[in-house]
Amino acid sequence: MRRPRHSFLTIIGALLILMFTAGPIALAFLGSVIPDRVMFASDRGLFDEVTLENYRFIFTGELPPAYQQTGANRTMISDAARQAPRSLWNSAQISLAALAINLLLGTPAAFIYARYTFPGKKASFMFLILSPLVPAVALITPIYMMIQALGLVGSKLAIVLTHATRALPFTVLILSVFFRKMPQELFDAAVIDGCSRLQLLWRVAIPLALAPMAATGLFAFMLSYSEFMFAHVLSGEAGSRPVSVVMAALARNPDVSWSLLNTGIFIAILPTLALVVIVWRYVLADLVRGGLKE
Amino acid sequence: MKRRSLIAAAAIAFGLIAANPAIAEDITLEFTVWNYSLDTIQDNARKFEEANPGIKVKITDYTWQDYHDSLVLRFRGGTPTDIAYVGQDWLPAWAAAGFLAPLDAAAPADVLDDLKKDIAGFSLSDMTYKGKLYGLPYYADTISFIYNKKVLADAGIAVPQTWDEVMAAAEKLKASGMEHPIVYEFDQELPNFFDAFVSQVYGRGGDLFDSEQKAIFDNPDNAAYKQLDWLVQAFKKDLVQQETHESKIIPSMNTGKHAFTVVFNYVLAAMNNAAEQPLAGQFALAPMPGEAHAALGFTKFYAVTAQAAKDPARAEAAWKFVNFMAGKPYTVAKRWAVEKGLGFGQVPLFDDPDVQAAWNKWIDSATLKQQVATARGGVWTEWTSAWTAYFRPLLAKAMVGEASVDEVMRAGAQRWNELREKMAKQ
Amino acid sequence: MWRTSRFPALWLLPALVPVIALTIFPIVQALWTSLHQVMLLFPGEDWVGLDNYRNVITGEYFGVALKNSLLFTLFSAPLVVVIGTATALFLNREFGGVAVLRSIVLLPWVLPGAISAVLWVWIFHPSWGVINSLLRRLELIDRSIPWLSNPDLAFLSVAVAHVWTQLPFTIVLVMAALSTLNKEVMEAAELDGATSAQRFAHIVFPHIKAILVVLLIYNALTAFTTYDIVYAMTGGGPGTATTLLSFQIWKESFSMYDFGAGSAVAFIVVAISALLIVAITKALPSDLFADA
Repeated sequence: MRRPRHSFLTIIGALLILMFTAGPIALAFLGSVIPDRVMFASDRGLFDEVTLENYRFIFTGELPPAYQQTGANRTMISDAARQAPRSLWNSAQISLAALAINLLLGTPAAFIYARYTFPGKKASFMFLILSPLVPAVALITPIYMMIQALGLVGSKLAIVLTHATRALPFTVLILSVFFRKMPQELFDAAVIDGCSRLQLLWRVAIPLALAPMAATGLFAFMLSYSEFMFAHVLSGEAGSRPVSVVMAALARNPDVSWSLLNTGIFIAILPTLALVVIVWRYVLADLVRGGLKE
Repeated sequence: MKRRSLIAAAAIAFGLIAANPAIAEDITLEFTVWNYSLDTIQDNARKFEEANPGIKVKITDYTWQDYHDSLVLRFRGGTPTDIAYVGQDWLPAWAAAGFLAPLDAAAPADVLDDLKKDIAGFSLSDMTYKGKLYGLPYYADTISFIYNKKVLADAGIAVPQTWDEVMAAAEKLKASGMEHPIVYEFDQELPNFFDAFVSQVYGRGGDLFDSEQKAIFDNPDNAAYKQLDWLVQAFKKDLVQQETHESKIIPSMNTGKHAFTVVFNYVLAAMNNAAEQPLAGQFALAPMPGEAHAALGFTKFYAVTAQAAKDPARAEAAWKFVNFMAGKPYTVAKRWAVEKGLGFGQVPLFDDPDVQAAWNKWIDSATLKQQVATARGGVWTEWTSAWTAYFRPLLAKAMVGEASVDEVMRAGAQRWNELREKMAKQ
Repeated sequence: MWRTSRFPALWLLPALVPVIALTIFPIVQALWTSLHQVMLLFPGEDWVGLDNYRNVITGEYFGVALKNSLLFTLFSAPLVVVIGTATALFLNREFGGVAVLRSIVLLPWVLPGAISAVLWVWIFHPSWGVINSLLRRLELIDRSIPWLSNPDLAFLSVAVAHVWTQLPFTIVLVMAALSTLNKEVMEAAELDGATSAQRFAHIVFPHIKAILVVLLIYNALTAFTTYDIVYAMTGGGPGTATTLLSFQIWKESFSMYDFGAGSAVAFIVVAISALLIVAITKALPSDLFADA
């Protein structure tokens, strides 16, 4: 596959992709290990004082040494940054639940839409794909009032429900595209073997669609993970909030220095990144195996 | 005998448990705040809980940017809320909409009168709607003029007294290589974007509205008109660097590449914080430029909701909490002042030795006292908050040269006067 | 494709019911609001017909917000799909380090929008932003470029940040679609002497076309209705340079206390979004709805 005459272009392409996608996050990492007093001082080299003191503060609560000097106001550093690890755990619960609901409810629906015709198909499918047309912000008041009526405002369940529902139409749409691509002969053979509809889904369709399902599940997970508006209005006390809400608050906190904010960001995204990469590797492995045969 | 006394003891014990109101009817107060120093707020609430068994406080926080809209959603959705941080600009609309209750619904009149005596004039008017007091101050401050002492001293420039002098100083600094001598907080969606403008107008000794609350700033002789024109010139001459938020003004000023900014006083405390900032100690407060040197004083306060006021027990608990946070002996207000540099509406704190000792580290008390003494409140009506949401982008448009000062001021005044008439017809 | 004579309720309702619950009722409610005067300052909820729509459309900010939103959509949605597809095709090849790069492209995804905005404000910052610092070091500029304070540059800057956040999802889906491509067909075409452009046009593109249309629709909708990153970066400004229609829904409702007007903007957004979808599906016919 490797062609030497392309290698120069390949390097340029790879560098461009690397810079654009990873650049901003690399900068955030730099920001997390360089204190503001060095970062913003024009007379100091950027790497004069690389330190992990902010990471230590978030995990142990031990104040960075500069705060222990006399003359520095020890109270002008916010404990809010220490919510970062906790918020990650909250996000994991919320987003994994949204992912599970999406695959559980979305897969059968996508399969039916892809392989069957039935009365009401067109209308219900159109409804499903057109429903995300209405901007979430337009529905926030009525949805808030519904969730208030259910007594769920301030709970993680409220966030899970709205996130899962916002992602469902896309889950069904994307999965149905993949299910439709599968060769009919496979299903015909299975029917001859006496498979029921559920068995067709479970034994034939799903094993072939594991990679797209993982990718779609990732989509539902990420949609929930990064959603802010519903998470913000529906979330309760500080300890139960997801990453997006906690981080948005940190970013606007005058008692959180730039380097402390970056540290929070880093702690919050690393495990997510690990999870995403693992799932993604799995999807890619499927690609290497050759995927589906048409 | 033994058995009988045992039974009696058990009966008494049971009776005690059943009759103990702390267990049977704990009140949990729902308190909403914007998240500035949430850890301190939580700590204050814990101290209140310790001092008041039977009352618990549950805190829900939002960012400052999202706070107003989130609260409107909460009130409209009927989410239980007992005490809330409220801004002076929102009070009339929120009180008129029936979200908030006056304090006298829960607090004894004599206690209120006694507290009122200690509160600064602008602060008292900030918290009063239709003659009734709706809260006690959490944080009262001025939006002030802040400069870099070293930059001015090195350039041989005296602290500017008028806006023309600010312009001249900025131009001089620019000529000697400083790209943007002025830093300006520029988020047109923040209420303080308008408040900072009003403060500058007050420096000139002007008014945006007449005594009948009619808009008068569309007149070229009006101080607001002049100040917007001044800002337009400053932007046009490329003297200004925009920052989206005060949290970015702090490091920006600390690069030493800027000389002036207009911001809340407590931001000065952060700028002068030696643990984080390379140029800590170089920043100082100066009287707001202009003939009058006045500035906008404003108050963020603890208010009791109408929801809470309906239930006497809840109202009483809510008042206890407000009184703990902002009432005598001003322990909590003092804590905010000492630890965070937050201003206060409770005037006696100025003479508190702890406050003085803490503040002397980052601000010149004499200048501050003078600025607070000349501070004036804003004109807050039922429609002010809705109107500023309309007007702020227009102000921004003029500053960056996308619309003329005249267009913007006329559109703004017209909209204000329309809303005023519509409200009067009610 | 099999036929069944009954609606497969057991299979579909679990997915449909939650969507209906969180869509139909709120839509009806919002529609009702858009036809009434629902204002915080003026009690009573009178029927006002289309007054809210009229007031909104003739208001100060509607025209410019509509123009900005359409431009934003027309600019960023195709850009995301084109860059995303190109990147996916690039990463679908084998070369040293490609495995690492395939994971790195997901990075923008793990940042919530609010945080992406913070990073991009920092990158575009006039005095300590990395772009200006680089340009200055390369001696391409001698004075800082005000990326977010100049109205034209601000629009471009927020669009770049938006594209950045949307790329990973597009790359993931296109790569997933490419994974279902039959490798033998590709190899056969290569042996027959088809150039890479021909292979893309005749084999790859038809194969991933349906998913590209889905992505285009998804990105157009996202671009037309999103505002969080833009507002965190510029507040819709300076002035009206980055004022977006979807934000006006929020602003009319919560900042100006006019919920009727806010809902009216929402339904205008819905109508335009529907037009966008129809336009995309008409311009790029695919079998997406063919048998639906």
